[in-house]
Amino acid sequence: MTPSNSLLERGIRVERVQALSMALSLGLLFAVLHLMRKRYLREQYSLLWLLFCLVLFVFSLNTRLLEGTAALLGVKYAPALLFLVGIMVCLMLILHLTVVVSRLTERVIRLTQEMGMAKHQLEQLEQGEAR
Amino acid sequence: MNQSTMKVCIVIPAFNEEKSIYPVIRDILQLHPDFSVLVVNDGSSDRTAQAAKSAGAHVITLPQNLGIGGAVQTGYRYAAAKGFDVAIQVDADGQHKPGELNKILEPIRQGAADMVIGSRFVDKTGYRSTIGRRTGIRLLSALITLITRQPLKDVTSGFRAANRRIIDLFAEDYSSDYPEVDSLVMVKKRNFRILEVPVEMEQRQAGRSSITALKSAYYMIKVSLSIMVKSFR
Repeated sequence: MTPSNSLLERGIRVERVQALSMALSLGLLFAVLHLMRKRYLREQYSLLWLLFCLVLFVFSLNTRLLEGTAALLGVKYAPALLFLVGIMVCLMLILHLTVVVSRLTERVIRLTQEMGMAKHQLEQLEQGEAR
Repeated sequence: MNQSTMKVCIVIPAFNEEKSIYPVIRDILQLHPDFSVLVVNDGSSDRTAQAAKSAGAHVITLPQNLGIGGAVQTGYRYAAAKGFDVAIQVDADGQHKPGELNKILEPIRQGAADMVIGSRFVDKTGYRSTIGRRTGIRLLSALITLITRQPLKDVTSGFRAANRRIIDLFAEDYSSDYPEVDSLVMVKKRNFRILEVPVEMEQRQAGRSSITALKSAYYMIKVSLSIMVKSFR
């Protein structure tokens, strides 16, 4: 892929890997929007993903931002900061998801119990009527 | 409250126990016709529910398998909703003897304890188990004793009686994975009184415990973690 002209005019060099990461973050953005449109993704999570896409996109668009931040934090190899942040975000997301799964499990147990009890009550009532 | 008018509910969690459950219920009702027997059929694929019904029990069939904790809690929630004064947990495999029910019920009737554990540490029937199992129980017992400051021996025993206050507590909050051990910590945390009484138990009738060495190590670690977390709540 050749560097795009408009970006060159503004003095920003677009590396191939940069173009690739921009394309990937845009792809992710569209995937998230598609899932939201189809209602496969609840709003509370879609917001998180949209934010994630935005951050990814901004960092791949403006490498100086990344390099600046890396220098500020004393990270010698700027992309390593990206990896670090990416992995941390993934871990937090997974932790959040296991919390969600735990809560859902709790609810499924409660519902299953209620349903079993309601069915039993119904049987009792029906037996009473049959007599 | 008049002691003789206490409403007692026997809670039997059952998962594929069609062979053993009928005699268990029959024997209990023969000895204690005034008791109500509730079988929580935990998504069995065999004829557990039919066998239990024909023996004279109420049967709650859960639409899917919840595991021992979820099933037992269903029993406590039923007992709470129906206004029972005492709930007694009994295993469906026949290892708990109906003749021993009075031993764990009596302290509740007299108001001497809120929860009574039927303990097999007195061993008249030659109840044998593997060394690994005994060691595991002993370790858990030491941990529980440390946390609750009360010497408790048979911490995994599923033969236990609970009064109204414990029923209400368990109806609201009961752990799903390791209920026997966990609940002791929970009960003690709330300053309820636990009593352990010796009872005779049968050897397991239907099949050996399915727990392998690796699984029991995993079980031990999880239970220990779980009760330590419980004790810090």
